Amino acid sequence: MSNFKHHIEVHNLSTWFGKKAILKDISCYFEDNTVTAIMGPSGCGKSTLLRTLNRLNDLVPNFRREGEVVFRGENIYDMGYSVYDLRKHIGMVFQRPNPFPMSIRENITYGPKLHGVKDEDELEKIVETSLKKAALWDEVQDDLDKPAPNLSGGQQQRLCIARALSINPPVLLADEPVSALDPISAAKIEELIVELKKDYTIILVTHNVQQAFRVSDQAAFLYLGELVEFEKTKRIIEAPADERTEAFITGRIG
Amino acid sequence: MSKEEIQAIDHSESESEVSFIHRLKNRIVDPFDDFLNADRSGKTDKAGKVFLLVPAFASTLIIILILAFLLFESTPILTSPVGGPGIIVNPTWDPNRNLYGIAIFVVGSLLCTTIAIGIAVPVGIGGAIFLSEFCPMRLRQPIKMITEMMAAIPSIVYGLWAYIVLVPYIKNVLAPSLQNNPLTGWIPLFQGDTNGLSLLAGGVILAIMLLPTVVTITTDALQTVPTSLREASLALGATQSETARKIVISAALPGVGAAIVLALGRAVGETMAVLMVTGNSLQIPYTLFDPTYVMTSIITNQLGYAFVFPLWRSALFAVGLVLMIMSVCFTLTAKLFIRWGMKTRGYI
Ligand SMILES: Nc1ncnc2c1ncn2[C@@H]1O[C@H](COP(=O)(O)OP(=O)(O)O)[C@@H](O)[C@H]1O
Ligand SMILES: [Mg+2]
Repeated sequence: MSNFKHHIEVHNLSTWFGKKAILKDISCYFEDNTVTAIMGPSGCGKSTLLRTLNRLNDLVPNFRREGEVVFRGENIYDMGYSVYDLRKHIGMVFQRPNPFPMSIRENITYGPKLHGVKDEDELEKIVETSLKKAALWDEVQDDLDKPAPNLSGGQQQRLCIARALSINPPVLLADEPVSALDPISAAKIEELIVELKKDYTIILVTHNVQQAFRVSDQAAFLYLGELVEFEKTKRIIEAPADERTEAFITGRIG
Repeated sequence: MSKEEIQAIDHSESESEVSFIHRLKNRIVDPFDDFLNADRSGKTDKAGKVFLLVPAFASTLIIILILAFLLFESTPILTSPVGGPGIIVNPTWDPNRNLYGIAIFVVGSLLCTTIAIGIAVPVGIGGAIFLSEFCPMRLRQPIKMITEMMAAIPSIVYGLWAYIVLVPYIKNVLAPSLQNNPLTGWIPLFQGDTNGLSLLAGGVILAIMLLPTVVTITTDALQTVPTSLREASLALGATQSETARKIVISAALPGVGAAIVLALGRAVGETMAVLMVTGNSLQIPYTLFDPTYVMTSIITNQLGYAFVFPLWRSALFAVGLVLMIMSVCFTLTAKLFIRWGMKTRGYI
């Protein structure tokens, strides 16, 4: 797995929705066991960039892309590259909690079952480890058969993290995972992200500079579809090289 | 609150008669005030509740009245020594000999409905999945419109089409080929000579008539499933078809259930088309190609001259009563099922 220095490399990526250019010639990379924050004002293309990494944009009509995304040495947009295989290795957590309308247990076992895990004991183990990793086990261990949508927002989001971890992907994409949550749940999930860094490569879209500073190792600052800066987080925030970055960090744009 | 307090003080101080008129005025005017101000906070919407209660109450009343009327009209047969509730399991219908068993019609209706639902629900849900999940955007609207138009075609037109196309097809092509094929020829369900007027024809034409309802309602239900659920499934490595089958259908189950309820209701109650193609023969069908007689058909066919024997007439109303009870039961069962589905999904 770690034969390649970077898990994901983005080379000269440009994307369009219809005629509208969204991302403009972006190049960056995401290293193993680091948290990369993607920052920028809303509408600048953060989600689009993230969704290009697991090809979730493919289904959007009129989506067009140029450039490459290399995952473990292969361009994921190559003909014949299995998008299902890709998504098995790149988990995703969305901006709003989106648990399936099923029981908590079924939410976790959905992914493993898709990929051929049938053994009940093994599934049970996956449920437990995933929920423990997402710091939810203690709260729900007695309610595994209750419907997931009945959980609180923060619990739902942690369930979604557990669901993403259920297939044990080396990479985890998170699109503003705490922006729809109360501060306490948000803090819990932030902690969780730092914790998960030990085992996963995490790419975190965030609107929030403080959050990026707290959790990320490197950061990318996007502005109107351009990658303005891509550097160690500390460097970017303490000494922004570009005035647009500075404006964003000091809160003048965004 | 304070206004009411002031009024209360007013009342206690004023003369009892004045206070009565005052109170009456408040009784009448306040609800309207409240209704008009219903969107302001702190107002209770009494008149609104009343206005909504009336139609709800009226429809309940109508159902009760219909049931009462059917019960009243079928009392003679249900209390007569030659009739009684046992007619529902008695298969002999011969008004000339005072035999009023309605089992044939009940069985005929149930079988016809089963076949129709058995075809229309899977095909309809399949079509809806295609429309909602796989169909290119540009095609979806036109196809939906055509489907909706299909629902508006009068049932007699379906009946006419079935009579000149479906019935001959069953007689000349389907039955012979199934019966002569060594693979299927031995199956009991396919036996019997047929002139095409059959249980199968009734079931198929009913299925065709139900399809548009099932497709449109199911499509609408599938479309209300949030995209974020589909994306969550795809992001876990599911294919689009896995996502449709395992997530979208499951999330839309209450709506899909509603489609099935409506289809069931329409299927048992449908008259004209079925009447024209089932052969209306007084026998219990044992194969798909046997003719059959459904409940709606017997009422339509015989009510006109049933007045000669009061019991005959009453027995036809008893058929209507059974029909009514059956569809109420279907609906209630389906509702319970939907409720259960919504509970396990955390919707309620
Ligand atoms: N499915 C879509 N179809 C068309 N335009 C889209 C779609 N999704 C996003 N966009 C557009 O792409 C731009 C970037 O969106 P997004 O990546 O969601 O921004 P961010 O996540 O940084 O707020 C926005 O202008 C948005 O309107
Ligand atoms: Mg976004």
